[in-house]
Amino acid sequence: MSDRPSWLDERTGWKQIWAILFLRKIPKVNWAYTLGSATLFVAINQIVTGILLTIFYVPSPQDAYDSVRYITNTVTLGWLIRGLHHWGASAMVVLAVAHMLRVIIHGAYKYPREVTWITGVALLLIVIAFGFTGYLLPWDQKAYWATTVGTRIVEVTPIIGDWLLRLLRGGTELSGVTLTRFFGVHVWVLPAALLLLLATHIFLVFRIGISAPPKKER
Amino acid sequence: MGDDVSRRRFLTRATAAIGALLTAGFGLPAVAYFVSPAKKQEAETDWLPLGSTSKVEIGTPTLFKTTIDRTTGWITESEEVSFYVLTENARTYVALSNVCTHLGCRIRWVDNQDEFFCPCHGGVFSKEGDVLDGPPPRPLDHFEVREVDGALEVKYGV
Repeated sequence: MSDRPSWLDERTGWKQIWAILFLRKIPKVNWAYTLGSATLFVAINQIVTGILLTIFYVPSPQDAYDSVRYITNTVTLGWLIRGLHHWGASAMVVLAVAHMLRVIIHGAYKYPREVTWITGVALLLIVIAFGFTGYLLPWDQKAYWATTVGTRIVEVTPIIGDWLLRLLRGGTELSGVTLTRFFGVHVWVLPAALLLLLATHIFLVFRIGISAPPKKER
Repeated sequence: MGDDVSRRRFLTRATAAIGALLTAGFGLPAVAYFVSPAKKQEAETDWLPLGSTSKVEIGTPTLFKTTIDRTTGWITESEEVSFYVLTENARTYVALSNVCTHLGCRIRWVDNQDEFFCPCHGGVFSKEGDVLDGPPPRPLDHFEVREVDGALEVKYGV
């Protein structure tokens, strides 16, 4: 780094932030340690392609299916954007779980990284909620029946089961009310929760540093 | 030490290059995707039946309404379109658009003033569609019109 700060650095201090983020010391690790970054990359993919999908998608029983077909068949590269979001959703779950397994196997959840671990578990639940709500949005037969079954599962909860079912569906039956609440949760509630927890999670990774792989002799 | 620096430089540059590639890989399709509905649609023109010639008052623009099917995005809806038809001799007909050439409001024929008036910004057109007053930049659009067995048809693009 040069000794005199540049015009921009003098005003923002970006070089120091850059150094904290990317020039930090890390222990000798293996490829399994990139799973978190891979998950983050797919999350960014989901955010970008998800925003693009809302440019055309309409969450109503009349329009949902047709607008998805329009994106897939008519819009330039719509198939690519939708495909990236569709497959990215599965990749997200796979990578997040693999990342979690690596943390479990290496015991990286232990002191002082308990908060990182707890936010990570919450993030995995959010990813699953993303998958569940997003699955309904194409409003095709598979989406409709998968959500019928998926929401029906909560009904077996003791005492408040049928209330939970009506809460999820926005009524007794799966309907346009279900579609709009799933959409609202998918594009507003979950992203807000994800960004908040993700910021905490990543801040802690930078602050505490990543754990070294456990040694054999101990 | 010199070797160390070049390795660092190489990795920095490689990371930047991969980053630029990924940004372009997402950015360019995103732009194409967003921009695609702005493509100019090829308008197909067809003869659109309006109604009987006997409805046209001689010397007064007469409003004809009809519906067409228009597809926008994934929605096909029937839409009402209107034309003013004018004749002076019941042999030759003129069909005028009822859309103001200023900013697209619907004009109407004002009988006792003998002119078309646009309520939005006060555009005024003559019986033949020429601009008399207000902001419209050009006369009302004309459409080709023909008579088939006593019925009027207008050539209109969907």
